[in-house]
Amino acid sequence: MAGTEAAGRLLNLIIALTDSGARMTRERIRATVEGYDTVPAGASEDERRRLDAAFERKFERDKDDLRRLGIPLRTVVDPIHGDDIGYRIDAAAAALPPLDLSPAELAVVGIAADLWSDATLGEDARQALTKVASASDERPSERVVLSGTSSAVADAVAALVEAIELRREVRFGYTSAASGSSTRTVRPWRLVLRGGALYLQGHDVDRGEPRTFRLSRFHGTVRAVGDEGAFEIPAAMPAAFEEQEPGEALLAVRAEAGHALRARGAARGRDGEWDVIAVRYHHADQLRDEVLALAGAARVIEPLWLADEVRAHARGALEAVRG
Amino acid sequence: MAERALARLTRLLGIVSYLETHGEAPFDELAARFGTTPTQIEADVWLLFTTGKPGGMPDDYVDFDGDALDEGIARLRDGQGLTQVRFSAREAVALLGALSSLEASGAAPPAAASALTKLKTAVGDVAPVEVMGESRADPQVVAVVREGAESGRAVALEYVDAQDHRTERLIEPHRLVTIDGVGYVECWCHRAGDYRTLRLDRIMSAALTEDVVTHAPADHTGFSLAPRYEATVEAARAARWALESMPGASISETDQGILTTFPVADADWVAGRLLAIGPHLHSVAPAALADAVARRAADVLAAQDG
Repeated sequence: MAGTEAAGRLLNLIIALTDSGARMTRERIRATVEGYDTVPAGASEDERRRLDAAFERKFERDKDDLRRLGIPLRTVVDPIHGDDIGYRIDAAAAALPPLDLSPAELAVVGIAADLWSDATLGEDARQALTKVASASDERPSERVVLSGTSSAVADAVAALVEAIELRREVRFGYTSAASGSSTRTVRPWRLVLRGGALYLQGHDVDRGEPRTFRLSRFHGTVRAVGDEGAFEIPAAMPAAFEEQEPGEALLAVRAEAGHALRARGAARGRDGEWDVIAVRYHHADQLRDEVLALAGAARVIEPLWLADEVRAHARGALEAVRG
Repeated sequence: MAERALARLTRLLGIVSYLETHGEAPFDELAARFGTTPTQIEADVWLLFTTGKPGGMPDDYVDFDGDALDEGIARLRDGQGLTQVRFSAREAVALLGALSSLEASGAAPPAAASALTKLKTAVGDVAPVEVMGESRADPQVVAVVREGAESGRAVALEYVDAQDHRTERLIEPHRLVTIDGVGYVECWCHRAGDYRTLRLDRIMSAALTEDVVTHAPADHTGFSLAPRYEATVEAARAARWALESMPGASISETDQGILTTFPVADADWVAGRLLAIGPHLHSVAPAALADAVARRAADVLAAQDG
């Protein structure tokens, strides 16, 4: 099995760096931790260079794997030999705290781990589930009448999380209703999940201000660009990111229609044949689409701009189909 | 395909960690716990045997009781300080994101919320993900539907569909599902005489009945509407995201924007979605779908302008 060699070597590395208490230099790691190739006595200069380069590549990859596993390697600089970097693992900081999940909680966590249809996040989720299983006394309860799927662009999620962690800028193709399709360069700060949709919030480098991007409007791949540690994530997010106060719209709906709106809204009397209701909304475009979907069984009274948007959308569609 | 090294490493740490707390466990119990086979667990134990501190003295290796191994039991003698490690940022986002999505859909049982709280505490601040907003589904309605599914009893509903038709239905609920963060119930619907997937936030009221569920759950999930024809829609690039979300859509780029084709099962529903990108639409085919769009757009304008 291909994973055997790497898994064994990484285990040896974890044991060595946790146990040493002090730091270990690269040279010492290479010489003593099982699984790394040392240079045999009498090797030619060429062979030595080749093996040195191979070790560097392998060690860099292992460091990356440990970070992906959740173990950040601490670099410790020797006070006497300042240029000689050592590594160690802080055991207490690296350990998973006890979780103490109930059987019902374990069952729903298991279902959540199956949510991502995409391979990348799916693997991350299953790895997380393995960790949950190793820190829980209980076993999942058997019967849960729930399942979930998501078609979220999870490759983008994985790339963004990685970039946030390393504080690297990202570049991606993006389509917005306002400015069409363009390439954006962003300092990624955090992901936000709202109503089943994922958003990226961060600093848009070209526009010079904080912006929110909906992941379903990304196209192409997300590429990390530039150096690690290129920016700081603000401790307090800008006010523009806060959930906006809900607005209130006044709608007129026909008798025996608009049931879902009625269920959420409050009656405000009548206007001729129409019932008037007040509905609170967080996202004006969602309410607009709901009114459009009712195909004339509802109209917007206030705000006037929302009424204009409803008209503009209906006119646009009408012009397109009449060509 | 060979298992990825990290997946295996995570399980190896899990085995040692679990045994550090519990002393010993049979291979098949560990296999069930970690979702693998007893044979794999045995191979994992043998790999652990060969790992240890630099130096390689006999006491430096991870050690198990050999006699117990012959009986298919992993009894840890020395774990060399190995223990399960905290969640990585990606793992935390993958798991918390999924759990939050289930919870936000309104379909998840109360255990989802408490699990989320516990996991968030364990994760600390490594997960750069925030969850905002909440489901429109009525928690009392969801609780009744869930109880019906769990106890195998039918539920009487008041339901409003996407075309705003209000109906009373008797359903046999089988399972709650979330699809892209929206909660549904999969059920047998007596009114339709068929399997249905109903949106939880469109159920206005629900009451548990004494009727016992008689129809087995469907062996497929999701939507069972049969497509009637293929639609072809041209639009500006700005409408891409909306068209991508059409079930079964395929999209290509053109000089003018994008060209999308997708199967249409319910012309009225599709027409409603197309109105939402009205200003970006270039053309709609076939004529049956274009007519549906025109009719609905005209109705909207007539209502709006009184």
